[in-house]
Amino acid sequence: MGSLDSYLPIFILFVLALAFAGLSIVASKLLAPQRPTSAKEAPYECGIVPAEAPPQRFPVRFYLVAMIFVIFDIEIIFLFPWAVVYNQLGRFGLVEIIVFAASVFFSFLYLVANGALDWGPVKRVRPVASEQSRTTTSTVRRVGHGTGEAA
Amino acid sequence: MSDPLFAHGVGLAVILIVLVKVVVAFAALLVCTMLMVWFERKVISDMQNRIGPNRAGPYGLLQSLADGTKLFFKEDLLPEKADRFVFRLAPLLAVIPAFLIFAVVPVGGVVTIAHHVVELQVADPPMGILYLLALSSVAVYGVMLAGWSSGSKYPLLGSVRASAQMISYEAALGLTVVTVVLESHSLSTRAIIQSQSHHFWQWNVLRLGIVPFAIFMIASTAEMNRPPFDLAEGESELGGGFNTEYSSLRFALFYLAEFMNTITMSAVAVTLFFGGPDGPGFHVVRWLWPILWFLGKTVAFCYVQVWIRASLPRMRYDQLMDLGWKRLIPLSLGWLLVVAGFIVSVAWGAALFGAGVLAAVLLYQSIRVGRRRRESLAAAMAAAAVPRPRPGGNRQGPVDLRPLAGTGKVGT
Repeated sequence: MGSLDSYLPIFILFVLALAFAGLSIVASKLLAPQRPTSAKEAPYECGIVPAEAPPQRFPVRFYLVAMIFVIFDIEIIFLFPWAVVYNQLGRFGLVEIIVFAASVFFSFLYLVANGALDWGPVKRVRPVASEQSRTTTSTVRRVGHGTGEAA
Repeated sequence: MSDPLFAHGVGLAVILIVLVKVVVAFAALLVCTMLMVWFERKVISDMQNRIGPNRAGPYGLLQSLADGTKLFFKEDLLPEKADRFVFRLAPLLAVIPAFLIFAVVPVGGVVTIAHHVVELQVADPPMGILYLLALSSVAVYGVMLAGWSSGSKYPLLGSVRASAQMISYEAALGLTVVTVVLESHSLSTRAIIQSQSHHFWQWNVLRLGIVPFAIFMIASTAEMNRPPFDLAEGESELGGGFNTEYSSLRFALFYLAEFMNTITMSAVAVTLFFGGPDGPGFHVVRWLWPILWFLGKTVAFCYVQVWIRASLPRMRYDQLMDLGWKRLIPLSLGWLLVVAGFIVSVAWGAALFGAGVLAAVLLYQSIRVGRRRRESLAAAMAAAAVPRPRPGGNRQGPVDLRPLAGTGKVGT
């Protein structure tokens, strides 16, 4: 069990942290009042009564980021043992990791070029409404007749 | 390689030493966290030309203790739509890793107590750095599950944002840590500080170039959800973020975890890049100097964290993700290869640096291609949905109800 010995302090610290958190929750149970009302238990939205349930669907980007993260995380996991023995590997290790990193990097370029990691709104491309009612002498916009302005 | 304390088996003396180390570290961490809360509030109020906490204790030092005690007496609410089990589990998942991460940080040198060689750190497992990264991933679960189990809109949005952000910056963080491991040839934190001891120009911040350290600072700030990356708790748009529904002690546990992580990440930055407890010592009390050096450096880093918080405005979410994915991750990967090249020979290093510049140009081009594609797609969609002239014309004007007149939807 020699190699696991060095985890003994971590285990004790874990027990201590768990006891701390557990005991303080128990203490707050005993000390704090318990007077729940329906208004207190409702979801907090700064005073507005929520009209609909929290969303179940999310933009696909979040899932994409999770999947792309897995690629990078696996790369990093492979890098750790490589970095530890790098001095013994020498030039072979370097060339090998260049090939590895290049393949990851080019797939990353593909993702970026396809806009997989773009967030936020794109620049609005709006048809420019002809503003005939505005001239250099008058900027008053006339409403209700004329060009039927695009909303 | 591994902890010398366990070299001759586990006896009673060893267990006692371990117990003392754990209890001291635990208590010190709690006290330091309380002081850190006070420190942050005081420094920020100085920077904002306010006084800050000054009522509880001298200079308001006991303010966090008073706040914590108050939270014990506050009602603990369980929202009706919450997933009761996960809602109770999430604060534990946040606070326990915060305690555990600190275990591998070396706070001092090596001393001998009753013929046992004791390293002044709670534990020195052979893969300390992997342990650190693993626990910081567990902390993501605390945030994620807290928001998800609340059964409320804004906490859910905050937690989804936070978890996407944390995993994004974890990649950059991991790559800079690999760069450090390249120089130390070991995953043990003790070996990492030993590899940069004796001279300050051997500290990793200088030896690896400034870049990995800078990336580490940015990524760890984002990893902790601290400003300017605290989008998970953007008050202006999300109420209070992932912990909106938490009150009383459960909220206190999140708060505790957040500040404990600030201390721990400062300590980890000191360990990885600034030689840990390394510094000139004197012959008076030899074991004390490394501890003082470690504390001094860590406090300096805590101060920098507070300074960043006071100075920088919060980022926008797309800027945040762009910074993480399109700049920090490629940069840290490229810098890792350059460092590896320079270890083999200068020629390899220079060649890889050139290749890195080329790769940066390629990346810039592909970002442009991606943006142009999205814009043309958006333009095509806009053209497909030709804007209909609305009846009545102007959006700001009174709504024209005439078209709906005979349909029974409006009274005429």
